[in-house]
Amino acid sequence: MQAAKELSAGQCRIRIGRYKEVIRINLKAQMAWRADVIFQMVFTVTKILFAYLLWGIIFRENQVVAGFTFHGMLSYYIISAFLSQLDLSGGISEEITQRIRGGTFSKYIVLPVSIEGYFIAMEVGVVLFYLGFDLIAALVWVFVFRIQFVFTQSLFLIICALVMVLLGLFFMVQFNYFLGILTLKYEEISTFLMIKNNLIALVTGSIVPLALFPGKVVACMKLLPFYYVTYLPAMLLTGRCADEAVTGIIVLACWCLLMQGMIGVTWKKYRIKYDGVGI
Amino acid sequence: MKKHLRVLRELMRLRFQKLMMFRLSFLGPFLVDGSLFAVQLLVFSAVYANVDTIGTWGRGEMIIYIGSFSLLNAVSMMICFFGIVMIPDKIKSGEMDLYLTKPVSPLFRFTFENMNPGSAPLVIMSVLIIAYGVLASGVKPGAGRIAGYLFWMLIMQLLYYDMEVLMRTVTFYLVSASKLYQIEEASLDLCMKLPGIAFYGIYKVIFYFILPYGIMATLPVQSLVGELTWQTGIAGIGVVAAFSMLTAFLWRNGIRHYNSASS
Repeated sequence: MQAAKELSAGQCRIRIGRYKEVIRINLKAQMAWRADVIFQMVFTVTKILFAYLLWGIIFRENQVVAGFTFHGMLSYYIISAFLSQLDLSGGISEEITQRIRGGTFSKYIVLPVSIEGYFIAMEVGVVLFYLGFDLIAALVWVFVFRIQFVFTQSLFLIICALVMVLLGLFFMVQFNYFLGILTLKYEEISTFLMIKNNLIALVTGSIVPLALFPGKVVACMKLLPFYYVTYLPAMLLTGRCADEAVTGIIVLACWCLLMQGMIGVTWKKYRIKYDGVGI
Repeated sequence: MKKHLRVLRELMRLRFQKLMMFRLSFLGPFLVDGSLFAVQLLVFSAVYANVDTIGTWGRGEMIIYIGSFSLLNAVSMMICFFGIVMIPDKIKSGEMDLYLTKPVSPLFRFTFENMNPGSAPLVIMSVLIIAYGVLASGVKPGAGRIAGYLFWMLIMQLLYYDMEVLMRTVTFYLVSASKLYQIEEASLDLCMKLPGIAFYGIYKVIFYFILPYGIMATLPVQSLVGELTWQTGIAGIGVVAAFSMLTAFLWRNGIRHYNSASS
């Protein structure tokens, strides 16, 4: 019994070690693309510039819009841009669909780790690398645009927002992995993936805060997971929507579980369609 | 002229033959760009649910703006975009040789060889958006203003084309221009969402004169609603003329610069 436990603990360590290795490799791989990192940092400015100019002209004639002051609004955009910049999972669905269509998805099948686990570890490696740079970019834009940054003082809200961000990043990996493996059934989904990118920007509140939409629309969005990926954490960190913090975590966790179930069913049903020769 | 028309007809025939082989992706650009502009409309509907005006523009003017930008984009997608984006690859791979040996201008062939009729519904959708915007704005434009709007759309279409070619022409001089395309994409993305009336100071200089995406749909809308001043009009025509000359110069010089070696 003791020996079996030791064996099991050993296997667990080996498995964790494999994922650590995936994280390490992906972290290291980012170093090769230093110019991309700098450009990604610089391009966060377009979101802030959009907000600065659009809301600048609107707030000339209004003191408060949908409960936001000018600096509150820009603080929302700074946090929202930082969070949406961290989510780099969009490439997962594109990678999977290309590999399946090209017949080279076998590369992931032969790895001694679960395929989904590999992509999660990959995302962790990439996010860890970009985290610091995106944070620096956010701070730079606060100073460049002279924003009186609004940030919550509540430790509870900060912790809730961090948990939600982690769950949100995890959900987006699951979501993109799920869309990727749908290629096994639908063969060509690249058009759908591009449409998805347009819609995700809207429903995560990356373009404008969802608070601007009518109440009924926001109520519907609360049923979807995307509301909790960027929008709600950004609102919590600017000290708003405190009453939604706990329910938000619960709803997002439920979506993660549901998505995991959908991935399991889809993979089990369609993996036999992959023959390794491409479409 | 007659020769060019014959070449154009042949290029269209070849393109349709190719498209018929990949029917599924036929409407792809329409669906992708249609969703993009639909999102824009939703975003500004949400903004206008909370404010009456953005600068001097009400909801109607903003809808005309989105429709106008969508129309510029749709016409480009339908006629030249998918051909122009191939230029860097052709230069890098040395395949440009094949274009230079043909009895027609390489730029003419790039412009028309990958037409995409799948974007035609987006043109129709854009015109409908513009018509809806005119109704929503309460503006009753006379024949003069409509003619003015069409004139500005026409020359802004030329500017849109100039910018597309200009960005790709850089490949004649540099090994990689991928960052430039990122700047192009980011600028387009910004100006698609934000009309030129929101720009001021240094931002106005950048998006009116250096990366002139900010004037592309703004000037036509201003002319339609009667807001366009003659100074802005002259500056707009100057920008289009300057970028057309710059594009023509860089393209011609680039062709001379091209050494057939793939890089």
